[in-house]
Amino acid sequence: MAELRGSYGDQPNHILTRWFGTPDLHKLDVYSGKPGGYTALRKALLDMAPADITNEVKTSGLRGRGGAGFATGIKWGFINRDAPGPKYVVVNADESEPGTAKDRYILENSPHMVVEGILIAAYAVGANQAWVYIRGEYDEPYRMLTEAIEEARAKGYVGPQPMGKDFALDIRLYRGHGAYICGEETALLESLEGKRAQPRSRPPFPAVKGAWGRPTLLNNVETLATVPWIINNGGATYAKLGTAKSPGTRLLTVSGNVRKPGVYEVENGKTFRHVIMELAGGPPEGRKLKVFWPGGSSAPVLPESMLDVTTDAEALAAARSMAGSGGVIVMDDTHCVVRAAHRLLKFYAYESCGKCTPCRIGGDWAVRTYERILANEGSQVELDTLQRVSDGLQNGRCLCGLGDSAGWVIDSTLRHFREEYEDHALRHECNVGAVTANA
Amino acid sequence: MPDVNLTIDGHKIAVPAGTLIVEAAKTVGIEIPVFCYHHKLDPVGACRLCLVDFTPGPPRPQTACTTPVSEGMVVRTQSAMAVAARADILEFELANHPLDCPVCDKGGECPLQDFTFRHGYPTSRIDGPRLHFKKPIPLSDKIALDRERCVLCYRCTRYYDEVAWEQELTTDERGVKSFITSQFDQPLQSIFSGNIIDLCPVGALTSRVWRFESRPWDMTHTETVCSRCSVGCSVTQWERRGQLVRVTSHENDDIDEGWICDRGRFDYTDVNDPSRLRMPSIRGKRSTWADAIGAVAAGIKGKGAKLGVSLPQDLTNEEAFLFRRLLDGPLKGAKVKMHGRTAIPAPEGDTMRIKEIDDASVIVVVASDLENDVPIIDLRVKKAVSKRGAKLIVVHPDGVDFDRNPHTVHIRNAKGAAAAEVRKLASHESLQNPGGPVAILFGDGHGSEDMNELATACGDLAEKVGGKEMPLYRATNERGALAAGVAGWDKLDGVEALFSWGPPPTAGIPSSAKFVAAWDHLPRDGYQEAVVLPAATFAERQGSYTNVEGTVQFLRPPIALRPPLKEGWEVLCELGAALGVSLDYAGIVPIQREMSLQAPDPSPEPMPVLIGPAHP
Amino acid sequence: MSALSAHVLEEIKELPSKYPQPRSAVMPALDLAQEELGHLTPEAMSEVAVALELDPGYVEGVATFYSLFHLEPVGKHRFYVCTNLSCMLRGANEIVDRLKQSIGVTQPNQVSPDLLFSYEEVECLGACEFAPMMRLDHKYHYDLTPETINDVVAQLRKTGLLPTRGEVAPPHSSGGGPQGRRGSAGGEIQAPKKPRATRKKKADG
Repeated sequence: MAELRGSYGDQPNHILTRWFGTPDLHKLDVYSGKPGGYTALRKALLDMAPADITNEVKTSGLRGRGGAGFATGIKWGFINRDAPGPKYVVVNADESEPGTAKDRYILENSPHMVVEGILIAAYAVGANQAWVYIRGEYDEPYRMLTEAIEEARAKGYVGPQPMGKDFALDIRLYRGHGAYICGEETALLESLEGKRAQPRSRPPFPAVKGAWGRPTLLNNVETLATVPWIINNGGATYAKLGTAKSPGTRLLTVSGNVRKPGVYEVENGKTFRHVIMELAGGPPEGRKLKVFWPGGSSAPVLPESMLDVTTDAEALAAARSMAGSGGVIVMDDTHCVVRAAHRLLKFYAYESCGKCTPCRIGGDWAVRTYERILANEGSQVELDTLQRVSDGLQNGRCLCGLGDSAGWVIDSTLRHFREEYEDHALRHECNVGAVTANA
Repeated sequence: MPDVNLTIDGHKIAVPAGTLIVEAAKTVGIEIPVFCYHHKLDPVGACRLCLVDFTPGPPRPQTACTTPVSEGMVVRTQSAMAVAARADILEFELANHPLDCPVCDKGGECPLQDFTFRHGYPTSRIDGPRLHFKKPIPLSDKIALDRERCVLCYRCTRYYDEVAWEQELTTDERGVKSFITSQFDQPLQSIFSGNIIDLCPVGALTSRVWRFESRPWDMTHTETVCSRCSVGCSVTQWERRGQLVRVTSHENDDIDEGWICDRGRFDYTDVNDPSRLRMPSIRGKRSTWADAIGAVAAGIKGKGAKLGVSLPQDLTNEEAFLFRRLLDGPLKGAKVKMHGRTAIPAPEGDTMRIKEIDDASVIVVVASDLENDVPIIDLRVKKAVSKRGAKLIVVHPDGVDFDRNPHTVHIRNAKGAAAAEVRKLASHESLQNPGGPVAILFGDGHGSEDMNELATACGDLAEKVGGKEMPLYRATNERGALAAGVAGWDKLDGVEALFSWGPPPTAGIPSSAKFVAAWDHLPRDGYQEAVVLPAATFAERQGSYTNVEGTVQFLRPPIALRPPLKEGWEVLCELGAALGVSLDYAGIVPIQREMSLQAPDPSPEPMPVLIGPAHP
Repeated sequence: MSALSAHVLEEIKELPSKYPQPRSAVMPALDLAQEELGHLTPEAMSEVAVALELDPGYVEGVATFYSLFHLEPVGKHRFYVCTNLSCMLRGANEIVDRLKQSIGVTQPNQVSPDLLFSYEEVECLGACEFAPMMRLDHKYHYDLTPETINDVVAQLRKTGLLPTRGEVAPPHSSGGGPQGRRGSAGGEIQAPKKPRATRKKKADG
């Protein structure tokens, strides 16, 4: 087992990571031996009607942990359980958002928690078959999840009559092959169907026409891993945690220039100061925090002055950013914002699927503009171009969120660090360390 | 479907439910620019150029090409948000565009140019180097791809996938590196490949046959009918300085739906061949028309069965009508062989129309490889299957392109035994309760089937399952020639005299022929000893064809006939005179008038009058 | 002589039935092909297409979309070094520099002279708490330093055997420029050189 960096152990407000650190937690008998291990599945299958399960999740107020933050229970309710023909649950385990490692953290530590969550969701929406789309580079999580499913199958939890209930449940895995766009749910479905992963135009939504044209529920790993706790303890109990609109806890991956990078389970509503400076130990000795990405690289940046913003979606939206995937990337004052933005734009350009015009052209155009600036060939023209490309990538121009994300990187770094950009573009110098955020 | 009321830019309109905003806007003459959207392809919302603003709806611009109208919707194409969004998209499209309009074949008929003028920013804000790619890339010997001009609207690949059921044209890579390519850089093989040139909204896919030939505004264009097979697709033929320089499709929903095959599109260069025959000749020596026609008449008159006549597949109804008079008179008893004709007998009355395939629940295709025999009907069948879920049953000994659909039921009959398989079909499960009309399309297996038997079997099947039949004649005007009674299928072996009209007989000029008259547009081997009459091509000829479904369509020649070339009807009249038959017509219109008077079952509608050449 | 061995093709033919629609088998099938050959050649892709009753062009389109499919020869060991932000902030670029030096290449996708190694810089691999990190073949390596890179390479050199694959190509470069990962046809209009791929039509018996 890999070294645990982040939350583990039986502590208050540890919902997901409570038993992390227990030797062999990935084994079914160890997981089952812990309070709550597979009791939620038993309760859901034997004591609850499917609609009650969905209602419990609705009551919990749980919001999707993949990035968009849509209310999970409501999403489950979109599936017409009584529609004839196959329905699917598809689990998004294609974790690829830069700065995000929490799904891997869950899968490597407690795969049965995910298996249990998947089975409950499948039963709730009337799907006999679940598919886990797992990113291709995740060899170890793939192996562990495969073993967990096989253990659950041997135990009869996965099979024709799970826990004696006459409702067949099966889980299969499908490996991704290197495409960030597969984190987008319709692109993931295209990929699962063996196609080039290009997002679909909606409607129809996956709940109506998803995988292989059938009604499909798509949820993130962390979202489903939270479900057993909600079923065990009640949606109302969960809703008491966190904030009113963003209840519960979530896993924040803190990375970059901090002393204790790790995956931390944090009750929603704590400040980023708490997360970065206390949990993750703040920047290394002698350096100052300059900027952080609060929810993966797609979330608009916040400067040091905004450390007291809280982690809930509403507070982040008010700060013109977003909770995203919970990937908190911290950068200190020895690093240059323009270079960081350039690196991220290279990422968005490389990962653009190429289907829609603004994202296909805009990302690359921005990269080449950054390259001119960083080669000291910049001028006001380049700064204007960046702003223009950024505007053209956002505001509904693109088919999916990838283009917007690229735009936000440019837009937010320009907004908060204009002076640093101007140093590069107009004065052809990099004054890393000397630049502070715009007021 | 019930109508939906909505407002577009202040116009109140009602359109059928399900109409897309982009189509609804057209009804009031409002242009919403599009690249990826095409009315014959499924919408994808990829290019984002059609962004408009509507309420109720999200506070962001939305694609008009993927959004159906809804009751009470208010669409604004000219709000600041929508206008800026479209201008931004055009700016992105132009960011890497080479702006080589002065040397681009699309210049002058290019939506990218037009939209930039009408919807783009008035001045360029693009500064800095553009991306460059290797170009042009040959997709085949007919089509070149310019990656720098490509806007990746995916019309071409979607057409290949949705309409033609082919995958040999694909998109490789992703993001800004994405590009259209033929599989493993090997030439496209589909007979339907050329349509991607018409579909391309920019100058990325261009015809190598027409490459760098002329400008759209340098050419006159004429809407006419294709002469390459019996389907009779509508085409536009483009003329410049007396040459036919381009053929494009011209949408006719009853017949071709805007698609044409590569034979119709690229197979025209013989019209411009510098070696074209222009003067009559007798045994290699130039002669006058009168002398040559006199020599022909002397060589073929009164020969009875010793005379062989080879007919071209694209003789017009008017020519067939005149020729019938000769066959009834001085050429009585001659053996006649029409190029490319099938063994299918003349139809008894009306047959199924091409557009009726759209409504069929089950389609049965017998003894014909539609892809090669009647290509555009092949696409119609594919549409019925993929867009409407029609069931398809094929009876054919070999693989056909319909096999690409796993649901196709393909019964591989032994050659010559198609009729037996058709008889068994009456009990096929798909035909027990077809749930709608049944279409039965049958060919002749290129001579391998006994047509009396097969036509009867198909007729019986049609009766049993309530189906309609479409006999698949192949030769361009086979149906017209059958109606005129000239579509012979005789063997020409052993004839002493040969009147070879059009290209020489497929089996070659019979060695027994001591006298040969050749009426052709190109010189060929064996003409040195013949009497040769120069012929007009399809691009110069007047007249009409009766297509596979029985529709009479009129040619509008794009190129004016230049003397000494003569119209076919004129040559036949003169030949008639030399043979002692009075065919005294002042022009083609009197011929048509007489034909309509003699028609056994005059059509209730007056026969359409020929529309003359587009220019004098 | 086919590029893929008979048992791999048999395995590929069994894949479609495992999915609700057979097309989903294309990526698992390409995995098997890549596992056998190291990288996907046009011939291999065509054979996968035939085995799955798909068109070669379709398979090519899929293979070139996803970054884990290699279309050019790779070394026996492949380094995937994350250089995205979290790793970059903790020294990923120095890791790449050291790796290049250590395995003896100058650019991504280049195969080392001993045919043992190649590398690429990749996007976030989802182990940011261990940055800088990389994936080496099928295993993650954490908390990299230039020294650990040296150690890993030395270790592989010591224990690594020469490539056993039949096809090894001379070191060569690709990637980077706008031409993409796959060398595309271009330049003057010319007759394509390669033999025609089988156009998918059910065999005539």
